[in-house]
Amino acid sequence: MLSRQLVKEALRRALATGADYAEVFAEHTLNKNINLISGKTDKIADAVISGVGIRIFKGTRCVSGSASSLAPEAVLSCASKVADALTGTAAVEDILLRERLFGDIHPVKIVPADVRNAEKIEYVREACLAAKEYGDEISQVSGSYLEVDHQIMIATSEGLLTHDRQIRNRIVVTSIASRDGENQDGSVNHGARKGLELLSEYDPKELGREASRQAVTMLHAGYIKAGTMPVAIENGFGGVIFHEACGHSLEASSVALGQSQFAGKLGTQIANEKVTAIDDGTIPNSWGSINIDDEGTPAQRNVLIENGILKSYMIDKLNGRRMGMASTGSSRRQSYSYEPTSRMTNTYIAAGQDEDRDIISSIEYGLYAKSMGGGSVNPVTGQFNFSVDEGYVIRNGEICEPVRGASLIGKGSEILMNIDMVGKNVARAQGMCGASSGSIPTDVGQPLIRVSSIVVGGR
Amino acid sequence: MTYQEFKEAVIRYAVENGIADYELYYEGGWSDSVEIYKEEVKGYTTEENMGVCFRCIIGGKAGYASTENLTEEEARSLVSRALENAGSIESEEECFIHKKGDSYAVCEKNDSPRPSGAELVETALALQKELYRADRRVVDGTQAYIVYGSQKYALCNSNGLDLEDEFSMANSYGMAIVEDNGEMYDGFKVKDGRTIQELDLKEIAGEAVEEAVSTIGAGSIPSGKYTVVLSNKAMATLLATYSSVFSAEQAQKGMSLLKDKEGEKIAADIVTITDDPRYKDSMVKRTFDGEGVAAYAKNVVENGVLATLLHNLKTAAKAGVKSTGNASKASYSSVVGVSPFTFYLHPSQGEGSALEDIFRAAGEGLYITDLEGLHAGANPVSGDFSLSSKGFLITEGKKGAPVKNITVSGSFFELLKKVEIIGNDLELLRGKFGSPAILVRDMAVAGKDA
Repeated sequence: MLSRQLVKEALRRALATGADYAEVFAEHTLNKNINLISGKTDKIADAVISGVGIRIFKGTRCVSGSASSLAPEAVLSCASKVADALTGTAAVEDILLRERLFGDIHPVKIVPADVRNAEKIEYVREACLAAKEYGDEISQVSGSYLEVDHQIMIATSEGLLTHDRQIRNRIVVTSIASRDGENQDGSVNHGARKGLELLSEYDPKELGREASRQAVTMLHAGYIKAGTMPVAIENGFGGVIFHEACGHSLEASSVALGQSQFAGKLGTQIANEKVTAIDDGTIPNSWGSINIDDEGTPAQRNVLIENGILKSYMIDKLNGRRMGMASTGSSRRQSYSYEPTSRMTNTYIAAGQDEDRDIISSIEYGLYAKSMGGGSVNPVTGQFNFSVDEGYVIRNGEICEPVRGASLIGKGSEILMNIDMVGKNVARAQGMCGASSGSIPTDVGQPLIRVSSIVVGGR
Repeated sequence: MTYQEFKEAVIRYAVENGIADYELYYEGGWSDSVEIYKEEVKGYTTEENMGVCFRCIIGGKAGYASTENLTEEEARSLVSRALENAGSIESEEECFIHKKGDSYAVCEKNDSPRPSGAELVETALALQKELYRADRRVVDGTQAYIVYGSQKYALCNSNGLDLEDEFSMANSYGMAIVEDNGEMYDGFKVKDGRTIQELDLKEIAGEAVEEAVSTIGAGSIPSGKYTVVLSNKAMATLLATYSSVFSAEQAQKGMSLLKDKEGEKIAADIVTITDDPRYKDSMVKRTFDGEGVAAYAKNVVENGVLATLLHNLKTAAKAGVKSTGNASKASYSSVVGVSPFTFYLHPSQGEGSALEDIFRAAGEGLYITDLEGLHAGANPVSGDFSLSSKGFLITEGKKGAPVKNITVSGSFFELLKKVEIIGNDLELLRGKFGSPAILVRDMAVAGKDA
């Protein structure tokens, strides 16, 4: 992507005003996004993203710069501008770059860009048509296919030179059901860090029917009555509760600045003892996985919480300096134009000992959240929220009628204590997580869990 | 190569491939930003961005390709990718390259000089000082940010259109954290200006800290139905989230309940909503949209009646109307969609529209100042929302104790019809969406067990 000579010169220039660390991140990415509506291709976005991001550290101070170009003059000019923000002088020694290849644990059988649009379109169309045929109430179906081929190169003044190629794709089907001037939608998505072989793992018709089933179910649902109650949250995307209620608050970007409710709590109990939670960037072919993070540190499996005790934060190099702790391989950025910081990869609550049927039957009156939407959190206050796409009332230990429009809110540190039953069957699901370093692919996951008490928004 | 050279190369390849209708869309700019933590510079960032999107129309179907890599080879690839993509489009709705003939406003460029790095640092440090000075409970974790940047948008096409808009502005962000009794509370204030000198740092800091301090000791309230006053900021976030329901594209796809509702009453009589690309208080006053159509102001809702949906050339042709100049591109690489520029609910001018008057009219109720998680908890397809909220009780017609850990739920479409009072405190959010405070009765609130 960039010649070794050019990278060395950029690092040398970046260090010229007294920084103690310099890093060059170069990127060349292909993005394609195909959209179908009413069973026909409607729009195709097709982008090449390419540029360089350069950072220098002096102690805990960071200067960064970026440019939308890989041309040598642009890279060197970016390095000089970054250095100009510090006012010292330094004699920079020659940097000996040693290439390190950490290997690729995410095999790709079919590189998506090698396959023409038509094949991808046919798959999505099949899903959309099956969704439409589900029933008369399905008024519209949209489908999309996304592919990313993200090539990165990282070099640092410590002598590291490494690169990675991250190929991912994803399919999304959304159905809309309509009746008497009302619309409800249902959506299904699957993504992975692998090639086009992903598509062969799912029957497109089933994806379409599932999206429509959800939309029709919600169209015939009433609203849940607002209140505080016990909730059983299903596996898979249900794991968004941990992602929001706790995950973000364990990122060094909040912790290092004292902006997290969990700062200074290592080794103490922050969750119910039934909770063990892990952030694992090394799961082969998983959507949120990496080989190396965006600072060149190999991916790790980090146990965040073990039986309720806080064991680890997710740490990048810069915040690690402030905290006096090593990187956990958690530094990520959407692209060269974002400054990297600590983020999640594949984050999930580990399997527990409770039977699913015991969890449901333990609830006299409450909510069964079968399918979750997204959410958000304020790490400072710990106040989080997420929406329930498909919910059911639980009465006397039985799952009863569907309810729409529910959202769950609470304070992370309190809700973690309330996770008092944890099932055995872990599943993960794919999402895009947005924060200061951009939008990145992450997995959330968990088995069925019970939260003994939480505020449920409704009508 | 330069953009000019790249543009010539792309046009050459387009002509060689027999493409008659095409457009090149350029977006580029720079920004410098400073972030303060404690009393020191934590981060300094200097960024240059640039990208180009090529769009061709083949038999009415649009093919797109974009790049940030200006090389001869990429110019060729851009044209062939766009051609292949156009060939894969099956939708029968016709796309267009805009013709000459519109009359365009003159772009009001900000000619104030680019501040130096040292000036940015000085301003950011001064803002941080004001944040700490505003209240003794302000603690570390409090941060000040100052950004100054410039962005250029240019569009040229095979019909001879050649347009350019350029904007520069300063942006400040104060994030205050206060601690009381072992609990942390935060508050924010974002403010933009033509220059960094123009930013009133004391006022920004004061408002951020006040927002944090005012929430100290907040508790929950019983679930039930409440009279709710949505603050200008809260209503603007809701309007932003639901702005897509006014898109003709969403309506034509059956994804907006406002489909075929033009001319019908969709809101209370007192509701008028306007989209104005050159709204007086906005720093970004666009002169053309994402397809090169002249941008102009229009009422979308007028005295409660849906006057028009927002259109681009494709949706307008399908509906048999003129484009409203609302073709949008979220970034240069995006496909053309539809969205508003500066979208706001008109403030009330009359008596009784001050916030205190609205509290008095509410009597007992809730003043909601913040709605969160809108990307998930508010659904533009159904209109339903159920959102984590915070604010204050309204007791005996006055703002009372702070409230948190509650949700406010309802339907956006019902809310528009139920607006009973509109305030006079219109403020723009992120320069794009604005509203005054509004009063709505009988909103469902979830809190403590009833």
